[in-house]
Parts: sequence; C-alpha cells; structure tokens
Amino acid sequence: MGFDEETTDVLIGGYLSAEAAKEDYESVRQCGARLWGAVVVSKDLEGELSVEQTDHLVEEGAAGLAGVGFVVGLFAPPLLAATAIGAALGAVGGKVLHNKSSTQIEQIAGETIPIGGAGLIVAYKHVDADQVEQAVTRAVKKAVGEAEGHHVKALKGALAAAQAKMAEQEG
Amino acid sequence: MTVQDRAHLPIRRPSFSGVANRTLQGSKPDWDLIGHPVPPEGAPNVLLVLIDDAGFGNPSTFGGPIQTPNYTRVAEQGLRYNRMHVTALCSPTRAALLTGRNSHAVGFGSVGEFAGGFPGYSATLPRDCAPLPRILKDNGYGTAAFGKWHLTPDGQQGPAGPLDRWPNGWGFDYFYGFLGGGASQWDPVLAENQKIIGTDPAFYDQDDPHYFPDAMADKAIEWLHGVRGQNAEKPFFLYFSTGCSHSPHHVAESWAQKYKGKFDQGWDALREETFARQKELGVVPEDAVLTERDEAFPAWDDLPDKLKTFYARQMEVYAGFSENADENVGRVLDAIDELGELDNTLVIWIWGDNGASMEGTITGSFNELTMQNGIPLTDEMQLQLSERYGGLDQWGGAMMDPHYSAAWAWAGNAPFKWGKQVGSHLGGTRNPMVVRWPDGIDQAAAGGIRSQFGHVIDIAPTILDITGIPQPETVDGIQQAPMHGTTFANTFADAAAPEFRTQQYFETVGNRAMYKDGWWLAMKTERIPWVLTPDALKPYAPGVWDPDASPTELYYLPDDFTQAHDLAADHPDKVQELKDLFWQEAEQYQVLPLLTALSTFFGMVPPIEDRTKFEYRGGVQNVLSGMVPRIYNHSYTISADLVIPAGGAEGVIVAQADHLGGFSLFIDGGLLTHTYSMMGVFVFRQQATEPMPTGDVTVRMEFAADAAKPATGGEVTLFINDKAVGSGRMDHTVPIRFSGYAGMDIGRDNGGVVDRSYDDRKPFAFTGTVKKVVFDVQPHLSGADELDLHTEAHRGHAAHGLSG
Repeated sequence: MGFDEETTDVLIGGYLSAEAAKEDYESVRQCGARLWGAVVVSKDLEGELSVEQTDHLVEEGAAGLAGVGFVVGLFAPPLLAATAIGAALGAVGGKVLHNKSSTQIEQIAGETIPIGGAGLIVAYKHVDADQVEQAVTRAVKKAVGEAEGHHVKALKGALAAAQAKMAEQEG
Repeated sequence: MTVQDRAHLPIRRPSFSGVANRTLQGSKPDWDLIGHPVPPEGAPNVLLVLIDDAGFGNPSTFGGPIQTPNYTRVAEQGLRYNRMHVTALCSPTRAALLTGRNSHAVGFGSVGEFAGGFPGYSATLPRDCAPLPRILKDNGYGTAAFGKWHLTPDGQQGPAGPLDRWPNGWGFDYFYGFLGGGASQWDPVLAENQKIIGTDPAFYDQDDPHYFPDAMADKAIEWLHGVRGQNAEKPFFLYFSTGCSHSPHHVAESWAQKYKGKFDQGWDALREETFARQKELGVVPEDAVLTERDEAFPAWDDLPDKLKTFYARQMEVYAGFSENADENVGRVLDAIDELGELDNTLVIWIWGDNGASMEGTITGSFNELTMQNGIPLTDEMQLQLSERYGGLDQWGGAMMDPHYSAAWAWAGNAPFKWGKQVGSHLGGTRNPMVVRWPDGIDQAAAGGIRSQFGHVIDIAPTILDITGIPQPETVDGIQQAPMHGTTFANTFADAAAPEFRTQQYFETVGNRAMYKDGWWLAMKTERIPWVLTPDALKPYAPGVWDPDASPTELYYLPDDFTQAHDLAADHPDKVQELKDLFWQEAEQYQVLPLLTALSTFFGMVPPIEDRTKFEYRGGVQNVLSGMVPRIYNHSYTISADLVIPAGGAEGVIVAQADHLGGFSLFIDGGLLTHTYSMMGVFVFRQQATEPMPTGDVTVRMEFAADAAKPATGGEVTLFINDKAVGSGRMDHTVPIRFSGYAGMDIGRDNGGVVDRSYDDRKPFAFTGTVKKVVFDVQPHLSGADELDLHTEAHRGHAAHGLSG
C-alpha cells in the first residue's frame, strides 16, 4: 500500500517536564514502529525553547513535518475541576498551523508551550498504533487523530482530529 | 537578701533599706537595689526540644528507621516516655506546652494563623494565663527560643504588631526563627526578636549556603556563650523548636543519600519492620498488635512499579532531614556539655508536636502549597513537576518545597492509626519523649522506660516543680488561672509511680477523644484529613452534623497499646459515659463550638476589611506571606512610581514569593515584564513591546479577571505612563496563597526568585528608584463579589492553617 493510501495516525501528548516528553520521544523512536516523524518541543524555566525532531517524511520525498507545520498544541491538564476552589483549566490553545517553515516552528511554539512544559507529536502508520501508543507512557494528556488521503493533507487532518479530542478532554 | 515573693510577678524590687541624707555624709547605700531576681537555689538549666510533624515510629530511639543517635544518647542517659501525648496540631501543642494549659483554654484550639471569633480559637493568649517563659524570666532565668514559633496570627507579623503576640511578648529574652507554621530551610524569612530580618545573606553563597537548622544551632550556641560570658550562674531556659520535620522537607543531598534504597520495600513493610524493632526496644509492649492500614492509604504493592522510585525518594529525603535535626540538637547538647553544665540541665525532648503530617496527600508533592490551593495533581504530574525543578536528586533542594506521601506519614506513626490533625487516634496524638537530668535522675534508672499516661500540658508544671518556682497567683496584677497540667517529676525516680494523668480530652478539627482511667473513646469525623472539598465538608454543615451520631471506637489502652481492638460494641455504657465527659470537658476548656477551625467554610467569616489600597514606600522588604495584599480571585492592579536614570534601569519593582508561586513586576533589558507563577505548575509571563523611558515614570500592571471567582483566569495589561505596552492571558491564577513562608519585597526579590531568568542576578535589586508601589485590590468588584471572595479567602486561610 502506498503512502498516500494508508491511514495515518497523529498522537499528541502534553507534559509538565521536558524530561518526561523526551523519555517518551526516545521510547517512541525505539518502539519498532515506522514513524513518519516525531517532534518534541519544550521550554525551560527561563523561557528558552528547545525543539528536537526526527523527520522521516523527508526521506520519503514528502514535505516533512516542518512543512506540514507541526507545532505542539500543548494542553494543560484539568487541574482543579473537582475541588472546592477551582475551575477547570482551559487549553493553553493549540494552534493548527499552515505550512510554516522549520524556522517558524520555534516562533510559534514559543507562543504555545508554557514555561517549564513540553509537548510531543508523533505521526505513524495506523497499523503501528499499538506499538506507538504503548510507548507513550508519561504524557499527562494525550490524544490520537487519524486521517486518510494525500500525505500532507492527511497529517494535517489527523493533527486537527487529535487536537479536537484533546480539547474535548479539557471540557 | 530579702525573700523574693514569687507568687506575684514581676517580682517587686526591695524597698530602699539604706540611708539617703542630704549629702553622702552619713548616707548608707543599699546594694540590693541594683540586684535582680534569681531563681531558687539549685534550679537547673532547662533545654526543651520540640521536633515538628513527626511520628512515634520515626526515630530509631523508638524503633523507627531514622537514625537519631543524639536522641538515643539522651534516652540512654535518661528516660524514654512511651505514653506521652500532644494535641494533633502544631500551634495547639505549642500553646499547651508553653502554658501548661489545655490549648483551647488559651485560645489555641486551632493554628496561630487562624484567629477565630470564639474564645477557644482566638489565637490570642489570655492575660490570666502567663506562659512558662514569662514565669521563668521573671524568676531570674535567661530565656531564649530558636526555630519555629507559630503562635502569632497571620495579620500581626509585621512591625505594627501587636508585638505582645511575638516570642518576646511570651517571655523570651531572645528569639531567632520564623513566626509561621513552616519555612524553607534554605531561604526562610526569619525574625529576630521583634523584627523580620528576612533571608540570611548566606543564601546567596553557592559554596556554603545558608541552612536554617545549622543556623539555629549556631545561634543557640552563640546565645549560650553570650549568657555565660556575662553571667556564670544564671540558669537558662532554651526552647529549641525545629522547623524539621515540617514541610518543605529541605536537606542537603548528603543527608538524604544515607537513606538511598532504605525505603524501597514500601510503607507497609516499613511499618512491620518498625513494629518489630519497637518491641525489641520495649517501647511497645510485647502483646501489642500492629493496627491495620486504612483504605485511605494505598497498598505499596498496588503502586505502579515505575513510580515506586519517586515515592521512596520522598521518604529518603524526609529521613535525612530528620536525622539532620537530631545532629543539630546534638551540637547544642555538646555545647552545654563543653560549658560543664549538661548534668545540671534538664533536657526534655519531644519528637513531634503532632503525628507525622499527611498533608502531602497520597501523591506527595513537589510543592506543599499545591494541596492547600486545591490543585489535584496525579503522582505522574508530581513526578514531572519535580523533574522540571531539577529532578528527584533535587527533591530536598531549594528548587522545590516538597512534602511526602500521606502513606509515609502513616508509616511514621507506627504502630498507630492515622496522624496529624486526627486528635481521635494515637497516630495524631502520641509522640516519643525523652528526659535527661543526671543531677535529678538516679543514674541507676538511666535508660529506663516510663509508661505513665502524660500530656504536653504536664511539661510546664514539671519544669516549675523541678526549678522550685511556684505557679504565680498574679502576673502584672492580673489574677492567674491555674495550670491544667500536673508534675510528673516523681516518675524520674520511680518507674512504678502512680498515674499522674487519669483524664484528658483531645480535639482537633472535630476529631475528638476522651481518655479516662485507661479507656479511650475515639470520635473521628469521617472526612479524610487532607480533603476539603465541598462534598467532604457537606456532612459537617451547621444543622446537618450531629457529633453524637458520629462513629465511635472504644479502646482500653492498658491492654491495647496501639488501639487495635475496638470495644465500643461491648461497652455501650462506657461509650456514653465518656461522651458525656467529653462534653463537660469541652465546655470547661472552651472547645465549643466544634469545627470552629472550619467555620469559614460554613459562612462564618470575620468582618470585611475596609482597606482596598495598600501603599508601600521605599524599600519595604520581607512582608510575610500572610500579610500580602489579597490579590487572589479577582481583578486588581499594581502600580509603581519610578525614577529611571538616564542610562536606564533594571531590576525588580515588586515581587512576592518565588518560582513555586508568586509574582514579579520587573524591568529587564529595558522592558517592563510581569511574571506570575501558579504554584510552579504554570508560569505566565507578559512583556512590554516598548522600551522603558527615563525620568519619572509610572508603570502599572492590570489584571482583568474573567469573573470574581476562585482561581479565575484573566487578561493582563502592562502600562507605562498610562499607555498600554504589553498584554497576555493567565488562564489560571492562585486561589488561596502563593507561599507558606516567602515574603514580598519592594525594589528586589529576596530569597528564591519568581522569574528564573534573573536568578543569576538575585535579588535583582532595582537600579533606579522605586518611590512607591500601590496595590488596588478592589478596582472592579461589586458588593456581592466582595463578600463571596472574602469568604473564599478565609476558607483558604483555614485550609492553610490546618497544614500548620
């Protein structure tokens, strides 16, 4: 089955530490699944952004994750929903991006990732879903979207679906 | 020398007995005029040591896993008391300890922060209950207190006082420590006598940083040396009240490292190990039974394996922290020994002002204030947040304010049930005590165990008994109420001495017990101590809760050391008898109304303060955390009048607390910036897009809340000379309190900083001039909003207080 005809999954995960996100990032990379790509974005306590990514799409001759515009929409965990003095935290506001260049990732992610937080996005074949999802053990929130069709469009669609699911969890 | 009338304090100076003629011719001096009161002949020194938030099963001296060689040496040269009791909460125990009276009777039914509107909860010492340090001081003792105080209401911890509620006002000649219920051990905001002196400058020394437990011992030794340098005879009363083992659990890694791997077996196995050692030592009778785990605590074996390292690390740090406290008390003991006075010093050392604290909730926390602010974090979240602030290796470091899991506390209270706040059970109320006094305890008896039932109210009468000082009839002309405690000095020589306390009530946050002649009636509310949700509180609302309908448990302690066998069903008459007796005692000692500590949750709040603007001029520093303008849960503004020199300025304009909860308004790189830390979980930062002008400049930060409600989100706008220059959203704000100890500073950010980007320049003092900073906490509120928020604020106050 060709790349354009496969079902593509995108998993997004939110973290409260860069270490946890990077641990899952490494775990995903070593899980044996064929990844289209993965990116982990984190911001340290001084506000400095860090981006790591593996971009197998480039090898496939496609536009790549950066071209698709993967920037993490990191969603905050619902901290206070059940307490006497709290209300649910809203989403920090994931941004679905449109064809940003890789240098723009940091700019956009800088607005999206909270200080001290981190996010992970992984794109992979749907047939490898079990392997990938089981490798992501530390996300405080995660969601998976899927889509079919042309690869760039599919990735965008899957990302949007994942973000929508994440937003529903916030509710 | 004239006889000193010790019944009326202060002791009156003798009248002039000499002769004063018109000239020196024929005049005769009376040198007694310049004398001062002296204690009775032979009165010993007194060292009273109180450890914080620790359990019966913590120190190795009582079979616990924490190595306490100094506690053991005192015990082996003196006596262990294995049936000594406290009140299950910090301030009440301290008030009872220092007054010899039941805590409610002296206004401390709850914590010092919480000044309630009923006599038993006013947090204000009655003038007819002069405390022990005042009595000793007026009788010629040198008196000093070091460490945790926790007997001054929150709003009274500044230069406006009233200062009679500070340690000096209780009769201590000298005080060095902190006024609140807990403090960082790395950057505490300290008080010395009647001044808040802030964080020790050594905090900034990376090679040899300030560590409060060490400093406490240093200061105590320095004080002793000073007293002896001046007066070789004057006996001293030294109250050494450690911040340890209260959270935050701060200690150098070398101490925690001693316990690496020592708790990998988990809390269930740890209890069993402790219990076995307790029997070997004889501090628990051979026929005692280890109580069962309540379902509120998870079984260790049920935890995910990947998180067991996280949980074990929490206890490793707590253990190292506690052993360090033992070490520092040992330094004080050594200093007294070097003076040649240890044998004539009565040492009374209580390991815990209540049982170990369960306020870390089941998960434990990287930041103790997350629980008080009602932020439910899973253990995975807690682990990740600890990683954010340096990882588990830094759990005891300055980047976190950690508290361990409630289950570790329960294990530390072995062999009993429950812990701190639970006055109905021994896990909250029975703590180890050792007494050493070679000049007064026959050394043939050294190393012995005493098992008479005692209470912390018995300490002061015992000290007075030994020193030969009577309880005063009047102090400052005010007739004194008698102490409720009884001396137990006769137990020093006689292990079989009769019981000196046959009856005692206990009450903490509605958890009650009545002890009489060996019988103990336990009446615990069904609320889990660390849960303050509306659902958890609903059953205790006025008109809903019937205390007499609460579940009861009955134990006969002479046969059941641990409270393992509930006899209530077999002895209904005894249950009723003790219930009735509890109500009598409750009325006599001002315990009523029950649940005053939670009254704010049921609509009983103090009058709303009129003041809505707070103005700080000049370099005001170290405004304690309970006195910071109430900016929580609604809109507010912070404005500042600045003078910016020609070359520009940088630094902090105003900052409260630190990166684990707080805010900072500062200029960096020429840009006005506001950083807000929501308990270290979320950090929001807004920055101006235009540079700061020079000359006289007014800056303002406005927070427009989405609604006047707890933890509201809202929009931040930054202004320079009334022009909006930056903005940003804060999705979530702190609902109750940024910090339990860190202060607010004008023109700098003392101690740990709010925004880590200027940590390398801390305290990042402002290089221009801050003429004044003004908080307006009521720019947009309606009257209805204000009452709601006032109520929420006091609920938060109560929640914070219960962790004291």
